[in-house]
Amino acid sequence: MFIVGILSWWYGPGWRQRVARLGERLNASMDYFSIDLLVRTFFAPFRQISAGKVRGPLGVQMRAFLDRIISRIIGAMIRFIVIIIGSITICFHGILGMTLLVVWAIIPLMPVIGIILFATGWIPWSL
Amino acid sequence: MESVVFKYGSSRAAKARIGRALKGTWHRLLFVGSILLVLVGLGLLIIGVAAGWIFFGLAAVPYMIHQWYVNGLAELPIAKKPRTIDDMLAGDILGQLSKEPSPREIATAVSSVFSGQFFGARFGISARFLQEISSEKATDTPALWKEALAIRELVGQEQISGGILLVALVRTFPGYEGLLAHLQIDSDDLVQGIRWQQHIRDLVNQHAKPRRTGGIARDWSFGYIPLLTRFGQNISEQIMQGGLLSSELEAHKQALDQMISTFGDAGRQNAVLVGPAGVGKTTIVHAFAERLLDAESSLPDSLKFRQVFILDSSALISAAPGRGELETIIMQVLGEAYSAKNIIICLDNAQLFFEEGIGSVDLTNVLLPILEAGRLRIILTMDEQRYLQIGQRNAALINALNRISIKQATEAETLAVMQDQLIVIEYQRKVTYTHQALKEAYRLSERYIHDLAMPGRAIKLLESAAGCASDGLVTALSVQKAIEQTMDIKVGVASGTDEREKLLNLEQLIHERMINQTRAVGVVSDALRRARAGVRNQNRPIGTFLFLGPTGVGKTELAKALADVYFGGEDRLIRLDLNEYVRSEDVARLIADGANDPSSLTARAMKQPFSVVLLDEIEKAHPNVLTTLLQLLDEGILRDIKNREVSFRDTIVIATSNAGADRIREYIERGYQIEQFEPQFIDELISSTQFRPEFLNRFDEIVTFRPLTKDELVQVIDLILAGMNKTLALQKIRVNVSQEAKLFLVDKGYDPRLGARPMRRVVQRAVENTVAKQMLSGTVAPGSTIEISLEQVQLILGTQQQANQIVADNQPTPPSIPESSVKQ
Repeated sequence: MFIVGILSWWYGPGWRQRVARLGERLNASMDYFSIDLLVRTFFAPFRQISAGKVRGPLGVQMRAFLDRIISRIIGAMIRFIVIIIGSITICFHGILGMTLLVVWAIIPLMPVIGIILFATGWIPWSL
Repeated sequence: MESVVFKYGSSRAAKARIGRALKGTWHRLLFVGSILLVLVGLGLLIIGVAAGWIFFGLAAVPYMIHQWYVNGLAELPIAKKPRTIDDMLAGDILGQLSKEPSPREIATAVSSVFSGQFFGARFGISARFLQEISSEKATDTPALWKEALAIRELVGQEQISGGILLVALVRTFPGYEGLLAHLQIDSDDLVQGIRWQQHIRDLVNQHAKPRRTGGIARDWSFGYIPLLTRFGQNISEQIMQGGLLSSELEAHKQALDQMISTFGDAGRQNAVLVGPAGVGKTTIVHAFAERLLDAESSLPDSLKFRQVFILDSSALISAAPGRGELETIIMQVLGEAYSAKNIIICLDNAQLFFEEGIGSVDLTNVLLPILEAGRLRIILTMDEQRYLQIGQRNAALINALNRISIKQATEAETLAVMQDQLIVIEYQRKVTYTHQALKEAYRLSERYIHDLAMPGRAIKLLESAAGCASDGLVTALSVQKAIEQTMDIKVGVASGTDEREKLLNLEQLIHERMINQTRAVGVVSDALRRARAGVRNQNRPIGTFLFLGPTGVGKTELAKALADVYFGGEDRLIRLDLNEYVRSEDVARLIADGANDPSSLTARAMKQPFSVVLLDEIEKAHPNVLTTLLQLLDEGILRDIKNREVSFRDTIVIATSNAGADRIREYIERGYQIEQFEPQFIDELISSTQFRPEFLNRFDEIVTFRPLTKDELVQVIDLILAGMNKTLALQKIRVNVSQEAKLFLVDKGYDPRLGARPMRRVVQRAVENTVAKQMLSGTVAPGSTIEISLEQVQLILGTQQQANQIVADNQPTPPSIPESSVKQ
């Protein structure tokens, strides 16, 4: 009963829990980097510097326009960097999570693998 | 359909037993063991021993068991298709049960788990109590399962938790209602307890869930807000850091929906939350801010992730000392909020921004155009009275606002809020509250705390009760103590030996300063005993009495004696001379706001709710004044000029009247006893239209006082002399008056129209003058007793004419002059 119980949990609800946690972690990363929002607001002025309509002489309006352009460029650059970092992080989390899922599946086989490796006498650093 | 069958051998039951075996240190040891095995294996491999692989591989076994326990067995989920009891029983209990468990065995299991202990701490249902009410026969168990299934369905839970089993155990005991009554709870309270426990579990789970609040780039498209950060409090940020532990009340939910609809639509972007202090306006603003931050809530895009800032009026005022500077700063702050595009400004206690005063400033001229334009999102909170006042001063301002009224929380909602608040209060104050304490806090705060609305007032009392906890447990008694200390009243049932003795001997104690009038003393004492034994009607005053009779027979004195003997001093007497309330306009004076007129009846009762209210010479009051008093007599409530309810439910109301005094005297002179003529006399009073029947009917008792006899007047003299001796005790001197002299004093001091009232003056004149002369002449030494004889009294009072003069001096008796039977 004990062995059946633990194994059926390990490859059943236990594994599903791991998958759910991986999903949660990925969701949290995606929420943190909010790549969709970054993409949608890619060219929006950063922190609204010089945002809004400016009334006045042409010179003032031109200066405001240039300020806005600079603000948009700064915003786009920062967002681009964050999108790159975010994408890498999310990918890293995904790969790590998938690896852990595979490891999770192998863990019950570890005693057998250990015995086999002992029998072969293999030691990684002694060639 | 679920069956009441319990299968010991089911796989879920077996898992529960494994889980129980691993509980505590075992699963931790397994985890440590797995790490040790890995380290040993690694160590062996490093030194080139291949056996290290075996240790490495074996480490997986304890690790797997540990993982199984932590993620699978510790919180054993119920079966997918629950059919039998073991399919849905909580794992921590299931793991403890034998093949054929008896109710007692189940009680033992329930007592050992958290859900059972919860009821022990919150409701006082101890393990021993459960053991004693549980049957030892396993044949009784199916009935218990059946009851548990019924309760499970009632509370809508999937699992049969420890709480459900506990309630089922109690309910299957015959006559359980009586047992619960000892704990001051009933069956419904226990069901509430199950929901409370479930609610805590839900809150904890909800809090443990990762929050989606928009991420790193959320605010990048919005503006900088340096001024707002300086002069405001970003409650959205606070919520992001801590989160709210709160239940959503129905009243609050409606307000929240209204706010979302107001700010989500294209209309004027403002909302004013109007409701009394303590109703939860600020809490609603916090809940609103929390909902805006929740990525999963369904909101218009224009509201998602918007941040709520509460403006700090005092910071603004202190930053702008010069004339006009404040307006400039406010305009800059609001301009910044508008430009930022993701800010909702909240003016908490908005009256601070619309009226001049200490810590407040009138910015109507600045704010009105902004509110009218309706482009900057603003939330205002204020109480109803201020809202009306501001509306009166500036109707345009009120017209520019979208009003959202916040209702007071119901009892169930208040209990739910208190349960939520306990999580923080208990942590901060290191105490545990019982369910009975919560209910008592609701009941008592509703009655005694007038300046706040529910749920604020109940929470306020609950917090103050933490200081009265014994052994860290806050019970109903702690709450009673807290309100008794803060309000200086008595609300609990008499429990101390001294108080019980006092109540049982109340008549005797009152008679130490009152002569005769046994019936009046009796009815008043009975009323107090009923109150302190907890058997009176809680929704009325302790007692309402009308004392009728001639002047100088002890009516007022009884009220004073009661205040002194039981209520803690004569200052506990709220005395109102109704001959000062003879005009219709005097009603306003009776119920005036305490802030303007501290001597009004409502103001005095607010300050001193546990007292004797003496309404002297009630027949002289204007009929409108008497009509106002009807509600006081009937329900123990009087509304003051601000429409606040003032409770008189802990007062004894005594009204006195001289109406029909001549008639009483006439009856007595004709040889009738009071009992013989009292009903007829009251009928005569009603017929004479001095009192309306509905007014007289409001009194619990109408007591007729009879004139004092000569023997009783001698006793009154004894009381007066006892009072004098008390004063002279400081000089170590005593006075003793001979019997003949006393009789002489009665003859000289008694006036049939004024009763015993002038007697004090006569006695004082006769005795005090004699003592003063003797003391000055040096014939009296400390420790000696002055004997006053008939001759000495005659010498002082002289002729009958002189005595009459003394009596006559007392004729224009002002109401404040104490009656003759007063002991000083």
